[in-house]
Amino acid sequence: MTTSVGVSSGPVTTAPAVHRAWWRSRLEGATSPARLRLLLALLILLSLAWGVLAALTADQHASAAADVVAVSEPLSLDAEQIYTSLSDADATAASAFLAGGLEPAAARQRYQADIAEAAVRIEAASALVGSSAARTELPGHLANQASAAGSAIGDDLAMLSGQLPVYTDEVGTARADNRLGLPLGAAYLREASARLRGTLLPAASDIYTRESALLTSASAQATGLPLMVITVLAGLGLGYVLYRSSRWLSRHTHRMVNYGLLLAALAGLISLVWLVASFVAGRGDLLHAQQQGSGPVQAFARAEVAALQAHADESLTLIDNSGDDSYQKDYLAQQKLLGPGPGTLLAQVQAAAGNGGPGGDATAEARAWYQAHAALRAQDDTGNHAAAVTSAQSGDAARSFARLSATLSDGIETHQAVFAASARSGRDAFTGLAVGMIVASLVMVAGCIWGLSRRLAEYR
Amino acid sequence: MNARLRPWRALLMVLTASGLALGAVAAAAAPGQPSAARATRAVSPAAASTCDPKASSLRPPGPPQVTPGSFMARIRARGHLIAGVDQSTYHFGFLNPLSGQIEGFDIDMIRAVAKAIFGDPGKVVFKAISDAQRIPDVSNGTVDIVAHTMTITCDRLKQVDFSSVYFDAHQRVLVLKNSKATSLDDLRGQKVCATTGSDSVARIQAHKAIAVQVPYWTDCLVLLQQGDVAAISTDDSILDGLAAQDPWTKLVGPQLTDEPYGLAISKQHPDFVRFVNAVLEQLRTNGQWDASYRHWIGNPAGQMPQAQYAG
Repeated sequence: MTTSVGVSSGPVTTAPAVHRAWWRSRLEGATSPARLRLLLALLILLSLAWGVLAALTADQHASAAADVVAVSEPLSLDAEQIYTSLSDADATAASAFLAGGLEPAAARQRYQADIAEAAVRIEAASALVGSSAARTELPGHLANQASAAGSAIGDDLAMLSGQLPVYTDEVGTARADNRLGLPLGAAYLREASARLRGTLLPAASDIYTRESALLTSASAQATGLPLMVITVLAGLGLGYVLYRSSRWLSRHTHRMVNYGLLLAALAGLISLVWLVASFVAGRGDLLHAQQQGSGPVQAFARAEVAALQAHADESLTLIDNSGDDSYQKDYLAQQKLLGPGPGTLLAQVQAAAGNGGPGGDATAEARAWYQAHAALRAQDDTGNHAAAVTSAQSGDAARSFARLSATLSDGIETHQAVFAASARSGRDAFTGLAVGMIVASLVMVAGCIWGLSRRLAEYR
Repeated sequence: MNARLRPWRALLMVLTASGLALGAVAAAAAPGQPSAARATRAVSPAAASTCDPKASSLRPPGPPQVTPGSFMARIRARGHLIAGVDQSTYHFGFLNPLSGQIEGFDIDMIRAVAKAIFGDPGKVVFKAISDAQRIPDVSNGTVDIVAHTMTITCDRLKQVDFSSVYFDAHQRVLVLKNSKATSLDDLRGQKVCATTGSDSVARIQAHKAIAVQVPYWTDCLVLLQQGDVAAISTDDSILDGLAAQDPWTKLVGPQLTDEPYGLAISKQHPDFVRFVNAVLEQLRTNGQWDASYRHWIGNPAGQMPQAQYAG
């Protein structure tokens, strides 16, 4: 609109035209100082508007990235740990029970570590969900989504804290009865395992699913393009206005360069480049965190939980002594879920972690375990219960499962570290960006004032 | 992931399994067994002229012999006897955590049969089965024989054969020491536990109590200890084993019913029924039954039921 100022002229006859003519006379008839003041006001306004828009955009991306690092990442890590710790506790308790009254100290310690880990993580997650202040700072739909998911997660966490002591109590009773040589112990262990799988694990899985979804949407918010595109277009528009203004000035004042406007244009350019560069770097880091971090972690965690549950089934079948086949049926169901094969969890692990990585090891190790398990079942089914128990405790089945479990745990740890590092560097890319945008816009304002006030001074 | 989360072990779910629907199922499953008729039978066993559970088995021709072409010969060729047993009924059939072996009074009966076939009581593959699996498993040949605190009833006799009676049990009630109940009649409207497929379920419902059904008797004791049921109703032989695991329980109620235990065998193997009866005759005379009784159930030994045969 500044371009049309003082350029065109037209008839002054009709009533609306009278109105327009008043403006024309103001502008065309106005003295150059008046036009300069008008241009100055316009440039100041546009600079400030752009500064606000750029700062807002920077802040949106920065806070979404900060949310990924400060809330979503720890929460989904907590959820993953609750989930795997509980599964591990189930498998370890069953395995220790199978050893009889004199359970191995290592198994006992591992069970206790699992329960402690789950309890600590439940507490930490509850604290994070409780202080959901961080969530409410999120913009629009994300805040709503977060608070809805937050309350569901809160319910799940409350249920976990309530049921965990009941579970450990039943495992404790099972141990005590087993120690006395009473068959009642096995009944308590079955009850405890049923509680863990029927109540605790679904809640942990629910939290994990919701947290992963929140993490994904926070990450999407931080890496989203639309707002950034609008801001960049606005920045380019402002640059064009500055360019036309300086052309107009040079025509009217016969000076090649207005240093004030040049300064404003430079500040604008620097801030635009800074904004785009930060965004590209941050976005790249966050996408990397997702593709090489949280994605593979999720795949590994799902696979590990399936493997742990199958391992618990293996022990429980032996404890139950094939009273009915439900545990063995569940083992086979978990085996099918775990794979390898198209659409299975191990296929997802391999896809997420890339070929030649730990996914390949896990596939081979899973196959070895299934083989050992089949041999174990054959022993048990032909009356060689003791040999089957030995295999599950310290033999082929135990060793091949331990290798698979270690590979999957390593995979989780490795990709968790990748995620943490990339997400942090993604967040850091946005550091100071919003403040920088405001400072830049103030510099632009200063440049405009400086540049135009020198021209204005010439009229005094 | 849904399959992984499936609550496949519905221990707690069965808490809700009660009421009219189950009553109807149980009644359909045991049409010949209204409790009044069983009480009558207990008073005068001869009254049921067409079916006498205590005298329903086949007479052995003599001492146990593995004749060529018989079912016993096929078992011998296979190398081991396959027995369906309980793994959670203390003193009758239970997995001993100390030895890792299934042991008990029922198990001793099976070992005697294995010894008669192989000369070695160790040649048995024990399959722990639930109460509900007993008749299907022995009918379809999954197991050769079932020794599982199993009462011979007219209804079951339609589906499987039984050996002669090897133990006499009586239904009673197990409650916590502080309970005021003295019989099932005092538990009207309250939850009483029994295993799925046991004949206790119908009895509990006949007394207007709510039957809670679980897979194993030890599961019942878990529920009793946790206060989820008021009592457990079944044979005194089983209840004694539960009471031995929790000194804060007691048996109450009169011995209203007779529960004659038999070893269940498929109707397709009458030769094996006669063989097993011959083994039981040996146990009766050689003192092994007494020894088992003293070891597992109590001293002095009770009296082994006299064998009666239908033919």
